[in-house]
Amino acid sequence: MTVVGPDISKYPVSRLANRRGLKAGQSRVGLLFLLPTAIAFVLVILYPFGNALALSFFRLTIEMMTPQFVGISNFIRIASSPDVWSSFATTAIYVTLVTGGTLVLGLAWALLMNQSFRGRSVLRSISLLPWILPGTVSAFVWGWIFNARYGVINAVLLELGLIEFPQAWLSTPQGAMLAVVLTKIWLSTPLFMTFFLAGLQNLDREQIDAARVDGAGNWAILRDHILPHLRPVLFIVVVLGLIGNLQHFDTIYALTGGGPVRATSVLSVEVYRRAFEQWDIGIASSIGVLWVATLVPLAIWYLRMMLKGN
Amino acid sequence: MKTLRALLATAVAVTGLAAGSASAADATFMTFSYAEETNKPLVEKVLTGFNAETQLSVEPLGFAWGDIQKNLFLRARSNDLPDVAQISERWLPTLAALPGAVDFNTVYGADELSKIFAADALAMGQINGKQMGLPWISGSIGMVANKAVLDAAGIAAVPSTLAEFKEALVAIRDSVPNSVPYTMATKGNGSILLDFMIWTWVHGGSIIDASGEVKVDSAESRAALGFMVELMNERLAAPEIDRPDARRLVGQGASGFYFDAPQTRTFLRDFSGQGEAFDVNVLPMQTPVLAEGNEPVSIQWGHLLMAFADGATTRADSPAARFLSYATGDAVQSDFPLKLSALPSTQSGRAAASGDAYLANWAAATGVSRTNEVGVWPNGADLTNIIGEEVQAALLGQKSADDAITAMSARLKESMANAVPAS
Repeated sequence: MTVVGPDISKYPVSRLANRRGLKAGQSRVGLLFLLPTAIAFVLVILYPFGNALALSFFRLTIEMMTPQFVGISNFIRIASSPDVWSSFATTAIYVTLVTGGTLVLGLAWALLMNQSFRGRSVLRSISLLPWILPGTVSAFVWGWIFNARYGVINAVLLELGLIEFPQAWLSTPQGAMLAVVLTKIWLSTPLFMTFFLAGLQNLDREQIDAARVDGAGNWAILRDHILPHLRPVLFIVVVLGLIGNLQHFDTIYALTGGGPVRATSVLSVEVYRRAFEQWDIGIASSIGVLWVATLVPLAIWYLRMMLKGN
Repeated sequence: MKTLRALLATAVAVTGLAAGSASAADATFMTFSYAEETNKPLVEKVLTGFNAETQLSVEPLGFAWGDIQKNLFLRARSNDLPDVAQISERWLPTLAALPGAVDFNTVYGADELSKIFAADALAMGQINGKQMGLPWISGSIGMVANKAVLDAAGIAAVPSTLAEFKEALVAIRDSVPNSVPYTMATKGNGSILLDFMIWTWVHGGSIIDASGEVKVDSAESRAALGFMVELMNERLAAPEIDRPDARRLVGQGASGFYFDAPQTRTFLRDFSGQGEAFDVNVLPMQTPVLAEGNEPVSIQWGHLLMAFADGATTRADSPAARFLSYATGDAVQSDFPLKLSALPSTQSGRAAASGDAYLANWAAATGVSRTNEVGVWPNGADLTNIIGEEVQAALLGQKSADDAITAMSARLKESMANAVPAS
């Protein structure tokens, strides 16, 4: 039997056709779409970082016309600087408190927002407000709350008779740290809540109902059903939270400027102060490089998990 | 390809427009007075007057006082310095090293400048024999009393000794509710430095001498810091006070004393909401002395104008140089500094200002001002941070005054050892 069909030899192959087929063409289009982002990344992130990396091996202050190569002496100076070590410790405390606090509050708020009640949609929308506000605005709001003379906290405590004189909360290391931590938790909770809420929407209600029928209480349901279900979300939220909090600068600088003394001088503030208050670009770059080094393992971990599809 | 060509053409056109708009003005002027709500109209008047006289335009680049150094530094890195910049006199040793900073002796001639400007004002802009800054306004940082608060506390005369000063503070604390008797700077390293420097001088000490030797580890400095700590402990001063906070509290009748420059009168008119009616309450006074007969102290203060140009030189008829001539000419000097409540920097301007009773009182009260011991060094910013941090640690009870002075001395010595000499 002869199969009769169109004679494709009559249709000449286009000279624009690619021998490697449709997939290769799609890849090229994909690369083309990626190009603007790649260019922006190179110009805005990679080049400045490369520049900073190079400068970390130079001495460069405002008085110097040209940088002077000093090898690793900036890093040696950093290693022997108690101020820089204290900045690492302050950063660790800040990141731990903020990430932990945001995690707990974000999850609690998401669980609440996942319940059915009247006005839920409105409350969900309002919940996003802190996330929408610019960081410096939030810092000034919290600065006013903690202000020694006009602050809400002092007004309430004085009214209740719990304190005799207004307290200068931002003038104690603990008070200042509490203020910057609370401000960042307030800013980040809506984002965490949104992640958790999205995860909770996929939770099988029947599974929860079945657990309740079996006599499981709220805590058991959270521990044995909800948290295991949210594990991938938890992972993403924790890693992104750690990275974001390690990088955070604006509210801390606007609220305390890294003080009192150096109580809230996290790495981002330390780099800023070295560069733009002490005009020592070489040392600022070296601290910046070490700061990036603390972020790299987290970023790699995150990317690996994402690529694995977890 | 057609689309790509169109896109490229648009990009070129947009770039051209941007470049065109960037160079629309004849000169650029970075200024912090323009960023201050109170003083913005005064700077605008100078720019308008210059334009009317010369048909040249100057674009103001307003940045907050605290951001000027950073902006100049970043612009120097990207070769985009303004033609003219307004700076505080204490920044000059650091900023004079920026590439393109103009020595005005090469533009106008040293003899000509000395004929125009008052000698003390002109000296503020000199570095190693070069005239790197032209004085715009001048004065000193001295003590100011709030007459309304003194009256409320039953204080008849301004205190002249430390003992009387402390008595006055106690009287204010006990009779003016919710007041901060002396709004000592306890926040902001730049502000803390000035209060500490003055009290150190009052106690007979010094921070760094003229040869660069750190002298702060002395009984006098310890006594000065001890005095400041005592004021905090007795609630005669308060935490979280920077210079702007002090101005607001004084304007609101909640503080009796503070240190500031003469232009404080203009700020207080604004912050009190009473305008010139508040002037009667602004009393310039001698800084209290340790013992009768001691010389009262104050710190030299002023705003300078710097110029930046390719090759660090400019012609006297360039738009920037003409603007500088106008800003320091009679038309501006007989008006702008007085509205800012500061002394003019030129000889003719000072003659015209002799009728201003407030400025005359200020000059009489503060006497001969001393040079800022820290600001004259190229690593002044680092020194300021060190002093601010150590003083603040003592004031907030994190360290004893003795420990703070010991640590301050060690850190200052290290900073001075690493400092690059001013070029």
